[in-house]
Amino acid sequence: MKMKMKKLVGMVLAFTVTATSLIGCGSSGGDVKTQGGADPSGKVTLKMAVWDKDKTAYLKPVVDEYKSKNPNVDIELLDISSAEYQDKLSVMLSGGSDDIDIITVKDTPGYSSMVNKNQLESLDSYISKDGIKLESYSGTAEQLKVKDKLYALPFRSDFWLLYYNKDIFDKAKIAYPTNDMTWSQYEELAKKLASGDGANRVYGTHDHTWRSTVQLPAVLDGKNTIIQKDYSFLKPYYEMALRMQKDKVMMDYASLKTGSIHYLGVFENNQTAMLPMGSWFMGTLMADKEKGTAKMNWGVVKYPHADGIKPGTTIGTITSLAINSKSAKKDAAWNFIKFFSGEQGASITAKAGTIPAIKNDDVIKTITAQKGFPTDEESKKALETVKTYLEMPVNAKSATIEVILNEEHDLIMTGSVNVDAGLKEMSKRVSEELEK
Amino acid sequence: MILYIKGGICLAQAKPIVMEIKANMKIKEEKVRPKSSKKNLKKNLIAYSFILPNFLGFAIFTLIPMIFALALSFLNWDGSNPITFAGLDNFKHLFKDSTFKIAMFNTFYYAVGTVPLTLIASLGIAILLNKKIFARNFFRTVFFFPYVASLIAVAVVWNTIFNPTMGIVNSFLVSIGIANPPGWTSSTVWAMPVIIFVSIWKNMGYYMVIYLAALQGIPTDLYEAASLDGASAWQKFKNVTVPMLTPTTFFVSIMLTISCFKVFDFVYLMTQGGPGRSTAVLVYHIYNTAFKEFAYGYSSAMSMVLFAIVLIITIFQFRAEKKWVSYM
Repeated sequence: MKMKMKKLVGMVLAFTVTATSLIGCGSSGGDVKTQGGADPSGKVTLKMAVWDKDKTAYLKPVVDEYKSKNPNVDIELLDISSAEYQDKLSVMLSGGSDDIDIITVKDTPGYSSMVNKNQLESLDSYISKDGIKLESYSGTAEQLKVKDKLYALPFRSDFWLLYYNKDIFDKAKIAYPTNDMTWSQYEELAKKLASGDGANRVYGTHDHTWRSTVQLPAVLDGKNTIIQKDYSFLKPYYEMALRMQKDKVMMDYASLKTGSIHYLGVFENNQTAMLPMGSWFMGTLMADKEKGTAKMNWGVVKYPHADGIKPGTTIGTITSLAINSKSAKKDAAWNFIKFFSGEQGASITAKAGTIPAIKNDDVIKTITAQKGFPTDEESKKALETVKTYLEMPVNAKSATIEVILNEEHDLIMTGSVNVDAGLKEMSKRVSEELEK
Repeated sequence: MILYIKGGICLAQAKPIVMEIKANMKIKEEKVRPKSSKKNLKKNLIAYSFILPNFLGFAIFTLIPMIFALALSFLNWDGSNPITFAGLDNFKHLFKDSTFKIAMFNTFYYAVGTVPLTLIASLGIAILLNKKIFARNFFRTVFFFPYVASLIAVAVVWNTIFNPTMGIVNSFLVSIGIANPPGWTSSTVWAMPVIIFVSIWKNMGYYMVIYLAALQGIPTDLYEAASLDGASAWQKFKNVTVPMLTPTTFFVSIMLTISCFKVFDFVYLMTQGGPGRSTAVLVYHIYNTAFKEFAYGYSSAMSMVLFAIVLIITIFQFRAEKKWVSYM
């Protein structure tokens, strides 16, 4: 009996802490070891970690194009599901895996944590050797520097926009949103659009449950960032969100959260007139219209801006490519990264409906010319940006801070604490974390 | 002794463990031990060779990781950079970590809420379903069913039922005139009670089966004797059933307590520790620290604290055993 008990207790402990090493060993051990450097024919196989391979439209064309130009290189994609990408990848790399050569970096917290753990190779020597111009990434590459060193090169750059449902606007006989709108104009518009009752209610706008939907508008003025010791600057935006929620201009946060309701369904089922969301949503919308699962007509305009700030100022997330510091094939890996994040890669990515990190006029033309993209002029102009701030700045503590911000966001939005108390607690906890 | 009910559910594990306790006690009493001789050594070796396969598995997957975790709790490690010595820093940090304190409180809250209620619920149902009532086997299956249902599906369904605006619970409450029904899993006050409720609903079937087996193991002549002495139904329950069930109650309460302290699944699936940190429990915090923040040393230190708590409570329960558990 006692033995049994200890065993049970032990199992809990063992599971919590050692699963790491086991999973790490398991996955690298289970892989087919075909790539052992150069085989007799001189062919190099690179292994690249990606998420949702089949749903990511640009991956295959880029890889195919590269392979056709470099016949002696083969690229093997290691597919991990999007939701658990960072966790799983970190565990694999923690196991000391030299199996993966190229790492797709999904977000900045993941980037910071991998840089901290010395899992990424610094790219500076490669960049200077090949004369890569970082200016072409419109400022995003600089924001990825850690202590003046760059560990990843962006290839995809998403930013926030305001989507709207043309059918609902037409029906309500209200003019479409414009590319030059402040947040207060946006709120006014949302209020006018909300109508109906019960299951037939059409909401004016929709905030997904992410903390970013409420917090990001507050950093557009460039005076504050998402990682700092005082969060009182978020107050007006939390008040706006709670006000709209209370007046049923927006769906209720608690219901969305407990129901795990995806913004896609809300927007495509004509339940909301507007939706602030990232540019990644365009590809999905175009594909769903093509398939016929979405029937409404949509348009897109620039993200609303703060008073006194130029329209086209927005928040972005960067997807980048890095080399595993343990890889034995770094030069070959760099060659591929150079291609993917460079001009050629950018034009292929754009053709697949995704906004690449190098965003010149050609790229925008390619995207807006796509079948399914709204044909009005405003929507085409919406993709021009003047300034993009990173959704999450690069910081060694960003993963932990993200958790704190989410917890406090949750409390404020469910009405468990008032805005002032919530922001005070947020400031206190983040300060403690930063000072540690 | 009946180890199976007609539903075909195996009970083999339940009873032998209770008997093992009895065996243990006997060994303690036996003070004179046979002196070791060559013959005995051979006997022992044969016995150990039988234990070996099981022990190997235990050692590789449980014992060694446990020792490793103990060592890790005095070290700093993020899984990639070199390991550094931390001394007692990880344990000192526990006192500064507000989430740890909240998680500790929530874990005790969950355990105190779950253990007695599950015991009462499973015993009650077992007694009712031990009587010769109509469609008895059907109802036994019904109550056991949640235990075998997939937890993920169960969590999604309960979350839908308790949805603050669209769920049927609140729709019902609004229809009978309650203007502001609770937000359930989206309320800091109600989220934990909902989790406790779902966990009782899910697990009581399992303990009900254990109680059923124990009830059927009570010799009927005891009840006959009590009837002859003119005992009422309540007196029979109080003086025959309850004392005869004490070994089972002891077993169930220990298993339940341990499972409560390591609760993770319900929280992870239903609330992710939210709203805020109102349902963050210890194992959930350990998981986040280890696999989101990659602070293996600190998470191991928390695991050690959890281990110590469970150990102390279990020792306490075994001490108290002599006072209230009766073996016939």
